[in-house]
Amino acid sequence: MIQRLRTFLSKFRKSIQAHSDEEVEALRVGFKERYHQFKLLLNANNRALELMSEIERALQGSTPFGMHFVRSQCTRISTDVFQIIKHINALAPNKYSVLFERFKEIQHQLNPFVHPSTCEIKGPLVMPMATVDRGSADQTGPKMANLAEVAKQLQLKIPDGFAITAAAFECFMASGDLQAEIDRRIQAAEIERPDHLYALSISIQQLIIEAPVPSHLSQAIAKAMEQLEAASGRSVFLAVRSSALGEDLAETSFAGQYRSVLNVGKETLFTAYKEVLASKYSLPAMTYRLQRGIRDEDVPMCVGCLRMIDAKAGGVLYTRNPVDIRDDTMIIHGAWGLPKSVVDGTTVPDQFVIRRGDTLAVEASQIQHKAQRYVCFPEEGVCRMALTGPEADQPCLSDAQALALAEMGLRIETYYGTAQDIEWALDDDDQIVLLQCRPLKQISPGAKNLPAADSRWSIRAQGGQTASTGVAAGKVFIVNKEADALQFPKGAILVTAQALPRWAMLLNRAAAVITEQGSLAGHLANVAREFQVPAIFGLEDATQHLKSSESVTVDASTCRIYHGRIEELLALREAPRNLMAGSRVWQMLDNAARLIIPLHLLNPDSPEFKADKCRTLHDITRFCHEKAVQEMFRFGKEHHFPERSSKQLHAQVPMQWWVLNLDDGFTTEVDGRFVELTNICSIPMLALWEGIAAHPWEGPPPLDGKGFASVMFQATTNKALLPTVRSTMTNRNYFMIAKNYCSLQSRLGFHFSIIESLVSERTSENYINFHFKGGGADTSRRIKRVQFIKEILEPYGFRMTIKEDHLNARIEQYIMSTIVQYLKILGYLTIHTRQLDMIMSNPTMLNHYRQKILAGIDDMLAAKAVASAKPEMQSAGL
Amino acid sequence: MESLKALFVDDETGYLETAVKRMKKRGIDVIGASSGTEALETLAAQAIHVVVMDVRMPGMDGIQALREIRQRYPLVEVILLTGHASMEVAIQGMESGAFDYLLKPIDIDELIYKIQDAYKRRQIQTKKIETIEKLRGGEREK
Repeated sequence: MIQRLRTFLSKFRKSIQAHSDEEVEALRVGFKERYHQFKLLLNANNRALELMSEIERALQGSTPFGMHFVRSQCTRISTDVFQIIKHINALAPNKYSVLFERFKEIQHQLNPFVHPSTCEIKGPLVMPMATVDRGSADQTGPKMANLAEVAKQLQLKIPDGFAITAAAFECFMASGDLQAEIDRRIQAAEIERPDHLYALSISIQQLIIEAPVPSHLSQAIAKAMEQLEAASGRSVFLAVRSSALGEDLAETSFAGQYRSVLNVGKETLFTAYKEVLASKYSLPAMTYRLQRGIRDEDVPMCVGCLRMIDAKAGGVLYTRNPVDIRDDTMIIHGAWGLPKSVVDGTTVPDQFVIRRGDTLAVEASQIQHKAQRYVCFPEEGVCRMALTGPEADQPCLSDAQALALAEMGLRIETYYGTAQDIEWALDDDDQIVLLQCRPLKQISPGAKNLPAADSRWSIRAQGGQTASTGVAAGKVFIVNKEADALQFPKGAILVTAQALPRWAMLLNRAAAVITEQGSLAGHLANVAREFQVPAIFGLEDATQHLKSSESVTVDASTCRIYHGRIEELLALREAPRNLMAGSRVWQMLDNAARLIIPLHLLNPDSPEFKADKCRTLHDITRFCHEKAVQEMFRFGKEHHFPERSSKQLHAQVPMQWWVLNLDDGFTTEVDGRFVELTNICSIPMLALWEGIAAHPWEGPPPLDGKGFASVMFQATTNKALLPTVRSTMTNRNYFMIAKNYCSLQSRLGFHFSIIESLVSERTSENYINFHFKGGGADTSRRIKRVQFIKEILEPYGFRMTIKEDHLNARIEQYIMSTIVQYLKILGYLTIHTRQLDMIMSNPTMLNHYRQKILAGIDDMLAAKAVASAKPEMQSAGL
Repeated sequence: MESLKALFVDDETGYLETAVKRMKKRGIDVIGASSGTEALETLAAQAIHVVVMDVRMPGMDGIQALREIRQRYPLVEVILLTGHASMEVAIQGMESGAFDYLLKPIDIDELIYKIQDAYKRRQIQTKKIETIEKLRGGEREK
């Protein structure tokens, strides 16, 4: 169809003098189509640039992002760039087809970062623990591998059982295309919104729970269970525990983020297995991965099925102090019954501090009143039972047992060569059973040189135990239930009764955590330390005592809470590290960004400014944008179409301004060579013109001898400044306009600028792009001038980059009235920064002009200056 | 001049119903279809200008349906809207004539702008065909 129209158009060219009505109409439609194509190109270009800045912000900032972000950004940018190439090739048929090849090549290189090929996991679906060791970590997850390894190497007692492997997980997720459906749901959700993330998490977990276990997998699991029962000679109950790949590492512990199902019988084993798999998509686990930049595909969920130990007592041993890297004592936390109450933070446990040395010794112990304990039901499951007798106040471990436990911890620490976080249980025979061991992350005791409490600071509350060091301030927000968590505001202080692992999902938003129960041995404490969120656990009546919305400063290192914000304390905070930086997801985006963002094609006049020189998607957008503007002009000129070709703006001024109406930029048909301002209805052009005409230009600044010499030197050496040389810098000042679009290319004095803007009620499409380059002075002064302009624009929120004497400023998605104001400012600057590069070495003059320009802009925006912008009124300066 | 009529195609009925309801509230004349086959049946029965279609659908998927639509009704503009972020499928879709490839979740205003842009292109194409026909008539008379 385009070819047919083109044939007709070529016929018009031959008989250009004699347009029939139909022919005029054909050209009008042709031009309209081109403008529409051009506008779509601009929209796609604008979106691609926005997406690029989002990627840059994501890489530099501390807001977490997942692989769904990497995939969607890259897919969106690729879509936009492909559209841009399509549009430029429609504007200039086949002229730029090489861009398709360049695009395909870049996309080919981009693909591995966006859609990494996953290796098929091979190996058995189920492995008995007796066959597992350190080398099995990729099959069974590090939790099971570490446990089996130390049991073998150090002859420690662990529960027997089997591991359901990563291969089994893959087999489960591949069945019925489950993984693809989950990926689709994640991609389509707004996971930045807590309520959406919550709904997504529920829907995915439901999907997994409802999916059938493939028959060959269920047979393998059933067989392993039969063998375990045969070896025991009786029915066996299991603790079904997560052992995901990447779990239990020092830097990413995932502590308590996945599910463990305790005391599971044969009949409910498959349900329990699926519950643990589903917990990969629990709200805390999804939030955790997002915060830490861990890809979903890197976390196959392996599951450990270990014989359930109906423990008399249990808890956690840290072979070093997690909140003080300099302290080498060992700390045991324990409670009656299953260790669950210690790790899930529902109790304040007994604490034993063990001193190292030639022999281990109990240095201190703190025995708590333990009001309840977890026990196994005879049938299945576990329950909490009240402890009413004297047992509640007795230590859950004797000193001898504590020392035996510490001895075991020391052996494991020596074997792995790093501090350990160990979960233990005391069985019916008073034997210590090792349930889990993982590297322990230690942190420093807090901000350096913390001042002693000042009497001016009013203490609001104090007590409890440091679970994670640091200082923070914010408003108290009390969380009693999950629904409260969805409302949790960013930067608030989380105050809650129990240190439950599920509150870890709030650690990306909480400034600090205060709980009534729990200890530094709990999962929440672990994650708080990982996220560097100050935390005080075990502060009695915190939820009653502290009031919602009151402003406090929390010093977790000294377990004190102060009224209001204590700036002196806050000033000593260490800068938080970016938890995403260096993560797998971050690396994927960083690698992709290298093929998207760098801009190599800077200068349109350079011989390197060619389609086949585009190395990144940004290069392609830059190239196409430049060429699209040229093609629009070329079309108007080539067809000598009186209605559409450029017209001179009727203004009694020394300078010439040309206007090319792309579509609906004129109020009425305009005959002849000239157009009046009253004929123009382009919103952005009128705004720019108002800025241009607001104040007359007072002429060039007075030059000192140095400035004059510089201009003379530049004038004789810079060929681009010679009017006879055809280059972009010698082009005349022209506006390309439509009702909502304007591109002004101007050369005033020796500098060259482009202001392009789309402005309408469609706020999301609104933007201004401003380029400023060149000048008559030497390079250093030209650079100073663009820095001067940058300073003026900064308060308005423009995103700006400077490369040598080239300033690029950009702003987008502001409402129409704001964009119009900013265009006026740019129009003003276009005129009033003329030749200012000459005085850039003179601070007094510079300051004078800065004040003058700022005052002029204020006047203009306050409409104190020229109220209506008529070209005749700005005669003198232009 | 004919007024815009859109068709929204998605196999997720909950999403489809919400999208249709919200677009109607914004003044878009839109109807729904829950499969590629149903979309083709609708197009055969009534004049539709812009189709917004999911990519992953059981039976005839979005890309297949897009090719069918572009072949049978070249003036109907098709926008692909999917939760499946794939650069490959995006390019495949646009090479097959899709007006654009958008990802869920999407702001309703964004989607409406896109539909309006697609409709504008259709109007220009229709006008162009009419003009060519007129010119042909004029040439024959000469």
